[in-house]
Amino acid sequence: MKLLKKINFHWVATPVIILASAFVTNAVIMLLCHYNPLEAYQAAVSGAFGNGRKLGETLVKSTPFLMTGLSVAMAFRCGIWNIGAEGQFLVGALTATWFGTKLAPVFPHTPWIAVPICLCLAALAGGIWGLIPAILKVARGVNEVISTIMLNYVALHLVSMMIDGGPLQETAQRGPQSDRIAEWVFLPRVLPPHRVHLGIIIAVVLAIILTFILFRTAFGFQLRAVGEGAAAAEAAGISIVQNTLRVFFISGALAGLGGAVELTALTRRLFLNFSPGYGYTAIAVALLAKLNPLVTVAAALLFGALTTGSYSMQREVGISDKVTLVMQATILLFVIGYSSVQLFRKRAASHSE
Amino acid sequence: MEENILELRNVTKTFGDFVAVDSVDFELQAGEIHAILGENGAGKSTLMNLIYGLYHPSDGRIYVTDREKWRYRLRAKSPRDAIATGIGMVHQHFMLVENLTVAENIALSLGQFRAGVAKSISENGSYKDWFGKFLFKKDEAIRITEALSERFGLTVDPSTLVRSLSVGLKQRVEILKALAVDARILILDEPTAVLSPQEVEGFFTILRKLQADGRAIIFISHKMKEVLEISDRITVLRRGKKVYLGPTGELTARELAREMIGEDINEVERSANADIGSDPPDNVLQLSNLTVLGDRDEVAVSDVSMESRRGEIVGIAGVDGNGQRELAEAIMGLRHNASGTISILGANPKGIKAVRQRGVGYIPEDRQTTGVIAAFSVTENLLLNVTHLDNLTHWNVLNQKRKRETAEQLITDYDIRPPVADTPASSLSGGNQQKIVIAREISLHPDLLIAVNPTRGLDVNAARYVHENLLAQRNQKKSVLLISTELDEVLLLSDRLYVMSRGKLIEATAQRNDIETLGLLMTGESHTDLSDGLDES
Repeated sequence: MKLLKKINFHWVATPVIILASAFVTNAVIMLLCHYNPLEAYQAAVSGAFGNGRKLGETLVKSTPFLMTGLSVAMAFRCGIWNIGAEGQFLVGALTATWFGTKLAPVFPHTPWIAVPICLCLAALAGGIWGLIPAILKVARGVNEVISTIMLNYVALHLVSMMIDGGPLQETAQRGPQSDRIAEWVFLPRVLPPHRVHLGIIIAVVLAIILTFILFRTAFGFQLRAVGEGAAAAEAAGISIVQNTLRVFFISGALAGLGGAVELTALTRRLFLNFSPGYGYTAIAVALLAKLNPLVTVAAALLFGALTTGSYSMQREVGISDKVTLVMQATILLFVIGYSSVQLFRKRAASHSE
Repeated sequence: MEENILELRNVTKTFGDFVAVDSVDFELQAGEIHAILGENGAGKSTLMNLIYGLYHPSDGRIYVTDREKWRYRLRAKSPRDAIATGIGMVHQHFMLVENLTVAENIALSLGQFRAGVAKSISENGSYKDWFGKFLFKKDEAIRITEALSERFGLTVDPSTLVRSLSVGLKQRVEILKALAVDARILILDEPTAVLSPQEVEGFFTILRKLQADGRAIIFISHKMKEVLEISDRITVLRRGKKVYLGPTGELTARELAREMIGEDINEVERSANADIGSDPPDNVLQLSNLTVLGDRDEVAVSDVSMESRRGEIVGIAGVDGNGQRELAEAIMGLRHNASGTISILGANPKGIKAVRQRGVGYIPEDRQTTGVIAAFSVTENLLLNVTHLDNLTHWNVLNQKRKRETAEQLITDYDIRPPVADTPASSLSGGNQQKIVIAREISLHPDLLIAVNPTRGLDVNAARYVHENLLAQRNQKKSVLLISTELDEVLLLSDRLYVMSRGKLIEATAQRNDIETLGLLMTGESHTDLSDGLDES
């Protein structure tokens, strides 16, 4: 009951307004391109949720959005503008590839041992990748927005270096991709043959744990304090440096884990363009969810549904999948627009004090 | 009888259910200094913001009479409209661009108000349509600033950067800004809060000069003495209502205070502290040759040595910006570029967390940014202290029940209003935000409490409550370091007294009854000259 009380009108209204505005705007765009938006939306909805298989596919598509979304939400909560989820995601995937192709034979041939080790290593690698901008920020005051974006490119090129003529390129050397990872590093599927895998469960459990950490532990309290008012938090005895390092590690680890999950559950090999920009879309996901890990689950589902929905719009109405990208962009614009309106109001309110 | 140049008729302003200003009538005559007295939250600022166009009245009307004696209704949509009709406001927190020169700041305010400057400067014969051009003409800006300075006797170098000016001079620039657009009505919000006694005298001279020039001044203050000295008439507001209007001198300070709070004020009694000396001197805080660099690597605190013992309040008086903030932050471990030693209870803890865990409480100067977190709830703000957190967590998990109980207890004990634990701190008034900070820091009864301007912005009763709490700390054999710009407060509470000026700390316990000397010390009058003078007397 208490939880229900907390979900006030504003909380529900904001995402609804944002989504409604985005859908209306996109309907106009589709009309301009001579498509019937109602038909398109119908196709999208049935494509995303039409039956169990389609729903499952939506869940599968949501997983990377959720993992990277959680990564961004945690960082932003602490006032750390980590734009590096993309790079951390790739580093996680790269680590999983390395483990799955090179190290796996050493381990017992059972997923119950190899997969957890693989995921942990990937999370660790993502976390360490995240610590680079953290250390730069703490030690030299380097703005994390710049350093994380730069590191995204470093990660991208690191991947291509490794799989295009590098040590992780497939043994056949036909193209720029890795070998398939060992079978016992495959992330188990929940209902084979369907693609729904353990990753989605891991991600949702993580969302619950992170919510608990944020709102029920001293650690989360301090993390939020640093995000909402660094000066006051510091004066209260909370270490900004420590929290910056911790949150960057956690954020990187979550994105890295996301990359490993995507790789071990679905693609099972690393190739160029492994990520269609999950780490960037994650920012929209996290902001739409107001940086709340539990709400991020819903936001990620929405973005997953947009993806699967766009496939069926493409198949059934012949609308280019670019429309989905436009749609995602529109949502992002409305999220940013709406939150700056709120910020403006908040400022006006504090002025009128 | 002088005519009114500003009239408020039945003006009411409500925020939701809260009536901030309740059908107030107010008149301002040309050439008068009209003081508005009231406790914090009495509606003074709201009233001024209504006149200045920052708020719009929920009911009632505002009339102004312009230069041509036309009386009309003012419907200011924004300060821009108010300024255009000749209303200028000097805010408590200055609205200056620190990295621009004085002349540039004045040019900035002129940019939008051609009519005003055309009039005011053409009288000096130096007006040219310089602002209408796209290019910024620095020489013209300097010339105009000089002309204004000369005309009103507000001397300030036009080409210095504002950030290098003292607070008093910044205020002068603010007044010049208002005069540049030919403000006939000047609203001054707590203008003396940041000035030393000597600077206040100079400031009053300026006010009298402006008054003689036919300008009307609204002087908002809670300092009775100053109001009685400078004003012609006094309006007293209490809980949004006008409760008194009369010529200055009709009521005594005490009677005015009664009007303000509706009851007699009682100041706290500081009992003589007989316990000092009975124990071996137990230094809670010991500073030796402490030098601290400020934000721009300037020497903010210079070679300070002092100590603070159990069972005493050590007061540090001084005008804002003389190194008090840096001193407090250095003691708290928030400033790292310090040399010398800081010893707290015999140890040298490094960093704020260690300092706090050693048993030091801290009421920072700026509650808005370092005291509370606006977006956090009252409860969360009350827990914002590593010691509180440690007490309420088990394996890092916050005990929800005890968290709520602690918060509710503190809200009751410290009378935080509204008493709702879940409201965000941003929706509380400044005074209540300060109560959160006080509650959080004092409730743990730290061995050493560093309090910087703990009652700034609090009304009389709330301030008294804070004073009682500080004294209670002392009487429990704890140590309090009270750093305040309110000389009265420091004099009232402290057992030993220092004055801080330009980073230097001067012990002044012996001069506590000599306000004149204290004032001189605060303005940084050469300390050797002063001691010579003292020797003679």
